[in-house]
Amino acid sequence: MTNAMRACVDACRSASGTRRALLRTFGAALVSAALLALVALPARAADMTKVVRQVFPAAETGFDPAGVQDLYSATIEQAVFETLLTYDYLARPSKLVPLTAEALPDIADDGKTYTLHVRKGIYFIDDPAFKGKKRELTAADYAYSLKRLIDPKIRSPWAWLVEGKIVGLDEVAEAAKKSGKFDYDAKIAGLETPDRYTLRIRLKDTDYNLSYILAHEPTSAVAREVIEAYADAGGRAMANPVGTGAYRLTQWVRSSKIVLEANPGYRGFTWDFTSSDPADQKLIAEMKGKKMPQVGRVEVSIIEEDQARLLAFQGGELDLMDLGGPLAPNVLDGDKLKPEFAKKGVKLSRIVDPAIVYHYWNLQDPIVGGMSKDKIALRRAMALAYNVDEEVRIVRNGQAVEAEYPIPPGVVGHDPAYRSPVKHDVATANKLLDAFGYRKGADGWRNLPDGKPFTIRYASRPDSLGRQQDELWKKALDSIGVRMEVQKDKFPELLKLERQCKLMMRTASWIADWPDAENFMQLLYGPNTGQNNNACAKIPEYDRLYEQSLRMPPSPARDKLYHEMTKIIEAYAPWRLDLLTYRNMLVQPRIQGYRKHPILHNEWAYIDVAPKGGGAASAAAGKGAPD
Amino acid sequence: MTAYIVRRLWQMLPTMLGVVLLVFFLFNWVGGDPAYVLAGKISNQEQIDNIRRQLGVDQPYWVQLGIFLKQIVTADFGASWSTNERVSHILLTRLGPSLTVLVPLLILSTLISIGLALAVAYVRGSLTDRMVMIVCTVGLSISILVYIIVFQYVFAYKLGWFPVQGWGDSFIQNLFVYALLPILIGLVVSIAPNLRLYRTFFLDEINQDYVRTARAKGVSENRIMWIHVLRNASIPIITFLMAELPGLLLGSFLIERFFSIPGIGREVILAVERSDFPVIKAITVYVAFATIATNLLADLTYKAVDPRVQLK
Repeated sequence: MTNAMRACVDACRSASGTRRALLRTFGAALVSAALLALVALPARAADMTKVVRQVFPAAETGFDPAGVQDLYSATIEQAVFETLLTYDYLARPSKLVPLTAEALPDIADDGKTYTLHVRKGIYFIDDPAFKGKKRELTAADYAYSLKRLIDPKIRSPWAWLVEGKIVGLDEVAEAAKKSGKFDYDAKIAGLETPDRYTLRIRLKDTDYNLSYILAHEPTSAVAREVIEAYADAGGRAMANPVGTGAYRLTQWVRSSKIVLEANPGYRGFTWDFTSSDPADQKLIAEMKGKKMPQVGRVEVSIIEEDQARLLAFQGGELDLMDLGGPLAPNVLDGDKLKPEFAKKGVKLSRIVDPAIVYHYWNLQDPIVGGMSKDKIALRRAMALAYNVDEEVRIVRNGQAVEAEYPIPPGVVGHDPAYRSPVKHDVATANKLLDAFGYRKGADGWRNLPDGKPFTIRYASRPDSLGRQQDELWKKALDSIGVRMEVQKDKFPELLKLERQCKLMMRTASWIADWPDAENFMQLLYGPNTGQNNNACAKIPEYDRLYEQSLRMPPSPARDKLYHEMTKIIEAYAPWRLDLLTYRNMLVQPRIQGYRKHPILHNEWAYIDVAPKGGGAASAAAGKGAPD
Repeated sequence: MTAYIVRRLWQMLPTMLGVVLLVFFLFNWVGGDPAYVLAGKISNQEQIDNIRRQLGVDQPYWVQLGIFLKQIVTADFGASWSTNERVSHILLTRLGPSLTVLVPLLILSTLISIGLALAVAYVRGSLTDRMVMIVCTVGLSISILVYIIVFQYVFAYKLGWFPVQGWGDSFIQNLFVYALLPILIGLVVSIAPNLRLYRTFFLDEINQDYVRTARAKGVSENRIMWIHVLRNASIPIITFLMAELPGLLLGSFLIERFFSIPGIGREVILAVERSDFPVIKAITVYVAFATIATNLLADLTYKAVDPRVQLK
């Protein structure tokens, strides 16, 4: 008997003596209870016989949102945990929508105060940590999860998401450094939960990107009881993901196999996404109106070797696979599938990653750094000498395109019409060096304007990609008479030297944490030197414009600032902006509704599996398919 | 015998100490600072220092070395730097898959190689012997990588006799479904060199006087080969096999990576890629210990096989 029924019976006993009235009221209570039960019932749309098998090319590390930073762990986390906000499945550029929040945040006080309301009736997956009780998701869970990011004990790689931003949070972290224990119960002025479902975040400065941060998986809600029950010595619960998401972890063979099953208590949703892209219309027709999630089980295999991955996909052991650059020539003819794949009904979901690849020069280096005209000329000459087209063809197997703008497609602020003036032009590069006094010596190599010899040290990793880039840069610098040597080091060491501004030049890349221009333009912000400003650039004009842009919501006025900042990059050449990479997802014909999302790491809750015999050419490709 | 064993165990200490020093200084020299990787894509010096402090890599080298020695004595290597998983759990859970492939491989490879080597040694100099030797020479000249790629493509993908990759939940399924192709490849790769080596051991024995005497006495060829020759050739074979045993702990990283077998070999590669020193330390120490222990075991086995051997 539900509480509602019991209350009603008690009320009726005391209020009315007639049997008829009691029966009528009892009947009404029964109907109400049944309706309540229906509302509370999870959608249970998932069909456990519908299995999707995906592959990761590298191992995961664990499933604590505050504790991991690799893409593959985050992919699993995104299925198990939930953030307040997420992205519309089909909208491009990516558009924020509420996930566990009732609506998008109410932003007040010039972007300094964010108020969100958590939807009622969302529950965590049952776990012994909850001692047999249903555990509802509340605003306090999000506040707790945000605090965990800055707890020194956890040493979260995502501390930067909140550090220096939320009023009062840094002070508690500082106290934790001294006491050795983070006080999760301390009152923080910028992180309030005025009621069970309301979260109010107050920022020190205007920040229009907090909404994106609240859609980023490190800010997913974890339950304090779970963390306290399972945390290791470092304060992380890496092996016990207990969330409110569409899936729950049911099997984990580390670095080998991860199995997720549909969360039986998940509230579900109806597939109702829209898109004006003609390519999406078939997908929409297939999926519209379905109760989601449809997929009952997700099996993830970790296969590091390219050949094994591709053969497993071709053999029907996998349904979804990120093709990756090295395998592209085996599967693609340019941007299309080879006939042998197309004939089997295999589908290709291809996007330009929200990421950029660039080369930087250290502006604090005595040879290539500095803002004098001769130093700028040297950097610009090197930028002009580099043949990006060659890198696209030879190194990237055609799975990349030359970048024109530092804000990639799919990211708010991208300008598809912008064309960079920095193009491969060896003749101009040589003229520039001649004009600024970099004369060739008797040995055929150019010297500095003061006549001293110099050598460019290009730092790279000892892997095949690094070696190929070494060769292209050597060729480029040879073409302008600049002597180059390669500095090889292991990744951790390169990272250390980079942070200390001790590398001369290196290739770098940046993938969007969220689809906003700020996430890319901060890469050259002076105060970020020693963090992610790997060119160690301190360009006052750029910094001033960047700070100005921070105070503006996305708008044409902000875009104008980004244009000016891009011109500064081109003029002072701390970077040679190189390319944008393609992501090619191979999809078996039996999978319906799949479209690679540029920001979301997995699409399992949005797709379906065709019934046996359904899906184009499923018979041809379905060997080994479990359903 | 007991005195011999105790003495040999004592002699392990300086060897182990050498291994420990080598691993420690090599890692600190070439391993790189893990704090910069663990700190994430945006981090400040304070966060990096905090990580270094928590990992203990901010301590003087002699303190870190002391901690390493304590870990060896207590057999507690702490937790992985990248996953926080206990190192002991890593080793225990990864050893099973490696052994599922390598133990049957070692047994089959040894039995087949001995049988074939005895057969070709018996017909030494014949066309069969020469053909087998040519095939072996060609076979061992080809990299294991080629075998893996070709066999995976032909037998798993094209013919569909085996799964391309994977690992299941039960020992039986793993042994008879997932491990079969890796074992087959292991056999093809290992039989050729083993057969050549064992054949040499047998030929050394076949030319001995005792064989001629046995033949003169009318002992059957089967008995001569399987009893007399095999027993006398067993000491170098045992030496060779014992040297192979520690390899079981390391797994076969190429096979494990290509077939997605969650074994020790794959874990070693992961640990190196992630600069995960606790895992590297533990595996190196255990392999060194196993090598020394199997050497001792080999010596004891000599005595069991050949009573003339004196342990001093």
